[in-house]
Amino acid sequence: MAKKLAKRAVVVVGGGLCAGLVSRQLTARGIDVLVLERGSDHANAAEARLPNQRDELRWAVRQGLMQNWQRETYTLRHSRAEESLPIRWMEAFLPGEGVGGAASHWNGCAWRWSEYDPTLRSRYESRYGKAAIPADMPLQDWGTTYGELEPYHDLFEKLFGLSGKAGNIKGAIQPGGDPFEAPRRDEYPQKPLEISEAGSLFTAATQGLGFHPFPQPAANSSGNYRNPDGLALSQCQYCGHCERFICEAHAKATPDTLLYPLLRTRPGFEIRTQAHVLGVSYDRSAKRATGVRFLDLASGQEYEQPADIVVMAAFTMTNTRLLLLGGIGEPYNPATRRGVVGKNFCYQTKSGVNVFFNDRWINPFLAAGCTGTVIDEFNNDNFDHSGLPFLGGASITAAVSNGRPIRSRSTPPGTPRWGTAWKKATADWYAHSFLVDAQGSCYPHRENFLDLDPAYNDAYGQPLLRMTFDFRENELRMSEWVTQKVGEICKAMSPDIMGSVAGLKGPFDTRQYQTTHITGGTIMGTEPKVSVVSPHLQHWDAENLFVVGASVYPHNSGYNPTGPLAALALRLGDDLIRYVERPRML
Amino acid sequence: MGEEEKTSPRRSFLKKAAGLAGAASLVPAPVSSSVATAAAPPSEADSASSVPYQSLSADEATFIEALVNVMCPADEHSPNGVDCGLATYIDRQLAGPYGKGAGRYQQGPFRSGKLELGWQTPLTPEEFCKAGIAAADAACVRQHGKSFAELSPTDADEFLKAVQADRVRDEAVSLSLWFNDVIYRLFVEACFADPMYGGNRHAVFWKMIGYPGLPATHTLDVVRYRGKPYPGAKNPKSIGDFT
Repeated sequence: MAKKLAKRAVVVVGGGLCAGLVSRQLTARGIDVLVLERGSDHANAAEARLPNQRDELRWAVRQGLMQNWQRETYTLRHSRAEESLPIRWMEAFLPGEGVGGAASHWNGCAWRWSEYDPTLRSRYESRYGKAAIPADMPLQDWGTTYGELEPYHDLFEKLFGLSGKAGNIKGAIQPGGDPFEAPRRDEYPQKPLEISEAGSLFTAATQGLGFHPFPQPAANSSGNYRNPDGLALSQCQYCGHCERFICEAHAKATPDTLLYPLLRTRPGFEIRTQAHVLGVSYDRSAKRATGVRFLDLASGQEYEQPADIVVMAAFTMTNTRLLLLGGIGEPYNPATRRGVVGKNFCYQTKSGVNVFFNDRWINPFLAAGCTGTVIDEFNNDNFDHSGLPFLGGASITAAVSNGRPIRSRSTPPGTPRWGTAWKKATADWYAHSFLVDAQGSCYPHRENFLDLDPAYNDAYGQPLLRMTFDFRENELRMSEWVTQKVGEICKAMSPDIMGSVAGLKGPFDTRQYQTTHITGGTIMGTEPKVSVVSPHLQHWDAENLFVVGASVYPHNSGYNPTGPLAALALRLGDDLIRYVERPRML
Repeated sequence: MGEEEKTSPRRSFLKKAAGLAGAASLVPAPVSSSVATAAAPPSEADSASSVPYQSLSADEATFIEALVNVMCPADEHSPNGVDCGLATYIDRQLAGPYGKGAGRYQQGPFRSGKLELGWQTPLTPEEFCKAGIAAADAACVRQHGKSFAELSPTDADEFLKAVQADRVRDEAVSLSLWFNDVIYRLFVEACFADPMYGGNRHAVFWKMIGYPGLPATHTLDVVRYRGKPYPGAKNPKSIGDFT
């Protein structure tokens, strides 16, 4: 039997980035907040200390910091006609576990999205006409604008001490930055990271082609930094152990470094670890969330935690799953196109071309998560799509983020996979090659969605979340077109050898890491018929239930997704302060 | 000690070498450990290989040792796979949490499906790996009339290529999946993981490619050695050097 606990003002599901940012705003006003995190605290454990931090096998390959698939995984089918199967060991994307969530093991690439991303449907319709958006692509505006989020982007960047070069300050284009950048009020808080040798080659080539290369915006700290809350980041060591690792040097901005240490000093804040949320309690007649049920993993005791306000700030997949498990909102049905929960499930469209230089020392191990150099000319709608058979695009990056040897080695096409020739090629090219990467948008498709699996359960006896997903025609065409652009850039660098130039091919393969940038499922929008939450992230069917994270994005852009979700979370914190004062539909 | 000695990598390797020299036999030759010791006096380099296998049976060890020596022959880049610790690495992984399926979702029902969804057998990775070894060796006997460890290096290489390309079939085990998704990944890990896991002995593969290892505090290096050879790449340091 569940034990009932004393009521709290705000209960937050998940102890990651969004939870930390929402809590920062609320606890500054003395509002009572309880965060429930299923994992443990990584601080001071082996993963956060030398020398064991530098263990590629343990943390990166065996996924030491990730969701334990034994307890909970996802099932997949590429189409509704297939039978789903559980992903017994997932490589494609990596939800975190523990305080800080996936943002403790992230690489740190922290973008603002295009100014038009929150109004993408309007943008495409006004530029190319209503017929330009295919009927099976349910793009929609978010119901908010970049302008409304800009102050929160600014705050997030200062809290996390981002390193970068502005491209557009209040409408004035800045040399050295991204000329396609959404207008920002200020320069980045810190100067960019050091450019890599790969970045220098890429810069020369892309400038020669008339493009505008710029440093990737980074949460790897280019200097020593103190944020407005008085918390510190150290200078990055360029050790190449960012993504899939905890930064033992406190040089990567993460919730566990910059948010939770502050929150723990604030009265009214509590985080409970090893607390696995089983469900959101929902009073259907009153249309209110009454609290959450969670399992204390240490004792095995189930608790009922009543709350005035419930904030779902878990990973994309968990936000969607808990709404489906609780029967809150109408599940999406692709046959009828009715319903909203699980709709617009998107991923990221990745491809790339390897380049090999006999006489250039790339030294991939001298790198941080975001020591990339980027061009934005072919991203999203930064170029004219008239006459092209697709929408969307990709950022193109000379992507050197690490030289960890199990996973980060390239050999020229045609190299055998083992034997002396393999060893020779590996030895010859390890320090002399890199990948030019295309990180592409992924737009919603009516047949890509999430629901509960009919056959498979998690370790606690609840249905797993089922993905019905594949890369669809729009994304495959976009990837092929953008990858040809990547090929032209690579040629302009005059490498001794070039890898094959081919866009992403389906089907979606769970055995290869792509990105952890999965989005949608609890999307935001202007009306209940097409969205789970309002533009203020308030659930249409429960005004005291809020959802935040990449699960609210109606589409995925050609950037890493962290920036806008951080801005949305900070704004939600402020919205909740108003809501606490006077509960209502915001 | 008898059983343990039989499965020592060095000994099995010697046994295989003897086989290649023409003394092939399906029955393990009763070579005493003193022969191995006499052949190569104990040194730091040999101590790891004298630890008995923790998971592999004698036959499985023979197969895996032959496999890593085909995939990593002794050449100008490194000693052979056994002497690099690759068989030791694979054995320890199979005996440890990985082999027991730590972190793998193992609930039923079990059905086979598309490769992109990952392997679906209810076996643990250790059991699956061993089932594949037995199936591959049996297929080898069917095709060549001898076990994998008895093939010439060229034939063994060709056999692995055929397995990789799904040209060698077994009724129960998908050998291409076994090789590509399990064995090959273990082989690469054995080469490039930190030496404390038993492979990559003396960081031989890190030296080969020029990965400097730890401590990787490169704040100054990233500028100083941008576009230049990095001196530390010649002498990599591993976790064991800092503990």
